[in-house]
Amino acid sequence: MADLDTEERPLFSAVSSSARQLYLLLRCISFADKAQVQISEEGLRFSVEESSVMEGLAFLDKSLFTSYQYNAPPQLPHSPSSQDSTASDTSTPESPIFQISLPSLLETLQIFGLTEPSSSRPPWSRDAPSTAFSTQLLGMNNLCRLSYASPGSSLSVILTESTITTTCALTTYEPAFTTDIPFARHELALKIIMRASWLHDAISELASTSPSRLTLLARMQRGHPFFALSASGPLGSARVEFNTAASTTASTNSGADLATDASSLLETFQLADPGARVSNTYKFALVQKAARAMAVATKVSVRGDAQGVLSLQFMIEIEPGKVNFVDFRFVPFVAEDGDGNDMEDEEEDD
Amino acid sequence: MRFKASIQNISTFTKFTASLNSLGPLAWVKLSKDQVCFTIIPEQGTQVWAVLSIDTIFDSYTIQSAAQNVINLEVPLTSLHRALKSALQASSASIRLTKKDNVPLLALTIVTTSTSISNSGTTSSSTTTTATTTAPHGGALSTSGADNNHNHDDGFGFDGGTSSSSFECAFGRERETVVTQEVPVRVLSPETVAGLHEPRCREPDVHILLPPLLQLKGISDRFTKLALVGAKSGTGAGGLGGTAVAAAAAASSSSSMPRTRLEMAANMHGCLRLSIRTDAMSISSVWTGLSNPELDPAQVTGGEEGIRDHPSTKMKELGSADGRSEEGWATVRIDGRDWGKVMSVGRLGGRVIACFCHEHALILYVYLPNDNGLDESVLTYYVSSYSA
Repeated sequence: MADLDTEERPLFSAVSSSARQLYLLLRCISFADKAQVQISEEGLRFSVEESSVMEGLAFLDKSLFTSYQYNAPPQLPHSPSSQDSTASDTSTPESPIFQISLPSLLETLQIFGLTEPSSSRPPWSRDAPSTAFSTQLLGMNNLCRLSYASPGSSLSVILTESTITTTCALTTYEPAFTTDIPFARHELALKIIMRASWLHDAISELASTSPSRLTLLARMQRGHPFFALSASGPLGSARVEFNTAASTTASTNSGADLATDASSLLETFQLADPGARVSNTYKFALVQKAARAMAVATKVSVRGDAQGVLSLQFMIEIEPGKVNFVDFRFVPFVAEDGDGNDMEDEEEDD
Repeated sequence: MRFKASIQNISTFTKFTASLNSLGPLAWVKLSKDQVCFTIIPEQGTQVWAVLSIDTIFDSYTIQSAAQNVINLEVPLTSLHRALKSALQASSASIRLTKKDNVPLLALTIVTTSTSISNSGTTSSSTTTTATTTAPHGGALSTSGADNNHNHDDGFGFDGGTSSSSFECAFGRERETVVTQEVPVRVLSPETVAGLHEPRCREPDVHILLPPLLQLKGISDRFTKLALVGAKSGTGAGGLGGTAVAAAAAASSSSSMPRTRLEMAANMHGCLRLSIRTDAMSISSVWTGLSNPELDPAQVTGGEEGIRDHPSTKMKELGSADGRSEEGWATVRIDGRDWGKVMSVGRLGGRVIACFCHEHALILYVYLPNDNGLDESVLTYYVSSYSA
């Protein structure tokens, strides 16, 4: 630790005592090769995008780190890449932004734990003698230091575990996209909060027919909230309903059957216009990429804005009482005439 | 030509053949009066020259041959390993060289004692299996009489026939199941093997006691994986037109190079460094506080004088114990996948000394744990270094 003090102050440096927590959060958005990293006063923002219609975002809050230092760069006589476009999404336009290889970072973070002796063998047959004061017990074996010296330098990850030090320099690339998918937070058409595992169950259930499109439908039905996910593809279509009405029609969700209290199925259900029917269609394969987040998160907030952009915000409890959020945004298919009308008729029947 | 021994330590022998098998399919086995040598010389990759003391694996060992009581065999390791694996639960096992239809083979006789009803059906193998079940400890007289007259060794002379009799009346008693696994081998003449020599290498620059191999394997396997990930995302970056801000890492590796090339280095101050470089990243792990064994003057040519002029003595003056200095490292470049196979010897749990000849070769001496502390068994791995 003393060695870095002698060097010039880096732009950013942080120490985490658990590389595993970082790994768990970042793994949720590991659907593309490159992740864009933005460093700010509050934390590290990792964003990943796919064909400009899907975006995943993990925010590593500074509270995840035992020490977090960000030395905002002085007003630079500007670099060729103008960063004015980032001004819209952050209060500090000068904050460094770059891309790194996300799979490489994830593999690096996993180096932890590999070197711990296997506990399946008795102590006398281990190669290295163990002591009662092992670093493992003291929780010292998990130090992970991230640092970024100056704009253009590599992002360095240093992992220290007893007598082994692993140093990794991740090549940084110019940011490829600077704007997020616009999501009108104040013009919500829909907001649903539910257990993430139920969404996960529904998506994996629907995935079995390898559909191409996923349609999200929400409305009030006879005074009860009604929410359904239907998937259609070349092999047919299937629908999962989160139906809080007493007569459950086709709920394939096992969780829903068990929920005796109807209101607990959808913790929050809000429509901007209670009389409206919200229906949007997204590419199934893209939504499915959020499956890992669905599996580990406790809750999910499903929001749709007036334009139909879908936001899935996952609350992930990495340790009791400590929550973090991972966000996904999806751009809908352009609505076609007659789209979903058949479905409407069908519902009127029951 | 006679060879017969009982296998003293089946689990060690099994793990040993498994580690050798990962490097090559055929082993040259040289059986002599006081030691057993296993040698693997693959077409490319790492060579292994293993010298085992007799009692590491065998017991009551007899050998006879016209050529100074030395027998040279070519043994298919996969079959041998499979045969040994079926012996893991055995109460005793023995091995002998025999002949069937003029094909020389190693016959592995495995005796399993069990109290269960039947387990004679548990062995399956590509090698010929002959199984006989006997109930020597007072089974029903009517059935055991014939079998009791059999000497076990003679009992398997049946030509290819399988006599697997079940003794339903012997339930609940201790029973013995005898399975013979036959591994066809080739006998090599002394002339054939005369041309095979252990590789010679210059005196190493650095010798160091490696950390536990399973730990080292864990990290080096992860590095190999990283190299593959890096290669994949590296091409992706090219397609997307991504520009490297820090071009340092990208500049050194060209696309024609195999991506799983690990760089291993050590110094004479107890440091070992493993590193890999890809387009997307460069990563290195440094171990500190390892030990560099002292050279024994009796083993070095020139004695004390030889040690003073030894390359490692000069390397001691360079570098530092915290591994931060760039000086004093002896470096080799090795293939990650080949290295992973070498590391599989870690399951034997021996001490490993690595000798680094800078930019030339890496030699590993794996000392197997031995009860008596005398005639140690040594496996020597010769890993050659790629040029930069």
